[in-house]
Amino acid sequence: MNLIDRYIAEVGRHLPEKNRTDIEAEIRSMVEDMLEERGGHDEKVIVETLEELGDPKSLAAKYAPPKRYLIGPGWYEVYLQTLQRVLYIVLPIFAAVTFILTLAKEPLDFVDALGNAFGGAFEVGLQIFFWITVVFILLERSDEVPGEAIERHPQKWTVAQLPEFAGKRQISVGEAMTDIIMDLFVLLWVVMPVVQSWLQGDLDNVLFINPELWNVWLPVFLVLMVLNLIHDVFKLKIGKWTPALTATNVILCLGSIIYIVALVTTQQVINPEFLRTLDPEQIARLRDVSTWSVWSVNITAAIIVGILIWDMVNSIRMARKLNEQPELVVANKNVS
Amino acid sequence: MENDEILQNMLLELRRGVLSLAVLSQLSEEQYGYSLLKALSEQGMEIDQSTLYPLLRRLESQGLLQSDWRIVDEARPRRYYVISPQGKAVLAKLKKEWSTMAETMSEMLS
Repeated sequence: MNLIDRYIAEVGRHLPEKNRTDIEAEIRSMVEDMLEERGGHDEKVIVETLEELGDPKSLAAKYAPPKRYLIGPGWYEVYLQTLQRVLYIVLPIFAAVTFILTLAKEPLDFVDALGNAFGGAFEVGLQIFFWITVVFILLERSDEVPGEAIERHPQKWTVAQLPEFAGKRQISVGEAMTDIIMDLFVLLWVVMPVVQSWLQGDLDNVLFINPELWNVWLPVFLVLMVLNLIHDVFKLKIGKWTPALTATNVILCLGSIIYIVALVTTQQVINPEFLRTLDPEQIARLRDVSTWSVWSVNITAAIIVGILIWDMVNSIRMARKLNEQPELVVANKNVS
Repeated sequence: MENDEILQNMLLELRRGVLSLAVLSQLSEEQYGYSLLKALSEQGMEIDQSTLYPLLRRLESQGLLQSDWRIVDEARPRRYYVISPQGKAVLAKLKKEWSTMAETMSEMLS
């Protein structure tokens, strides 16, 4: 049964959303008719039947001839989900932090703060939109378009090529992709300036992050981020809060929280040199530069710690749900 | 190898038009996909499932067929197809065209 579901889901993934459900139902009915005639639901008969039908991609292509898309139906939903999620997470946080930090300036100016928050969020939003779109255009290009060659040699396709079933995921593809993209953003944002100044040979541009952190704190941060990235790739592949995945998640979240709290309480994150390079007029407007810089770091850290705690609790909750329900899911499948 | 591929392509093109005609001709009474496939194959017209089902859908979207999900004899629900009035009109003209063409071709090839 599972194999048929996976086959149909894979055909559906390459169909336009408009008549996807209908065509999927028809293909299921067709497969059932074929199985009935061949005498049952043995694994062997199912495999034979599906391989006779051939590559899901080229079957889908017969229903809806493939067109060249910038982002086709196979990726479009995941693209929208990912874009939405990243924007929903980043923009409010960015706007809120900008708003609070501008308010810290003298004289107190709400209009200025609002303008900064919205203007900044708009620019960041455009950047995010652009880069995520680029990523998905590349993903679309990496999918081969089923041409006539596949149509004429359907025997070459085997069920072993079916991807794991995507229908009963707990963690949607969009959600996992969002996390991966966020990891990459954070990594680039921290690493790029450091790499740049290394390449340029010297400190002719003063970095935002305190160079004293480079030797120990920054490498630890990079290790944490890379571990996170690997974990999120597994999240994408597994799609469920299995015990192993949940355990790693809790460990990584706890590790990150400890790291952040230790960093913020013991170290000066923003480069004091960097504060000195600020426009003197701007500095004059800040009530107290060092207080301002400590505050901005603390607020950001508090928000990140909050998200981490939520993430940790959520994964444990979902893992418990998965534990309670496995039989129910199987039972439902057998009925259909 | 090259020739084989060219032949395959030409056969594919040749069959494409004929199949539509064959399908339309067998749907004066409603059938679901698999029963139609059997009916066609009994009369010597072999066709893949993965070709027939999309073809049925295309003919329906062109208005030549009508379809309905239905349960008959307590079986699973199946999609039943039947020719539409418009399809009947098209079929009549196609039939005529076909016999002229078949005559011409058999003379030409003999």
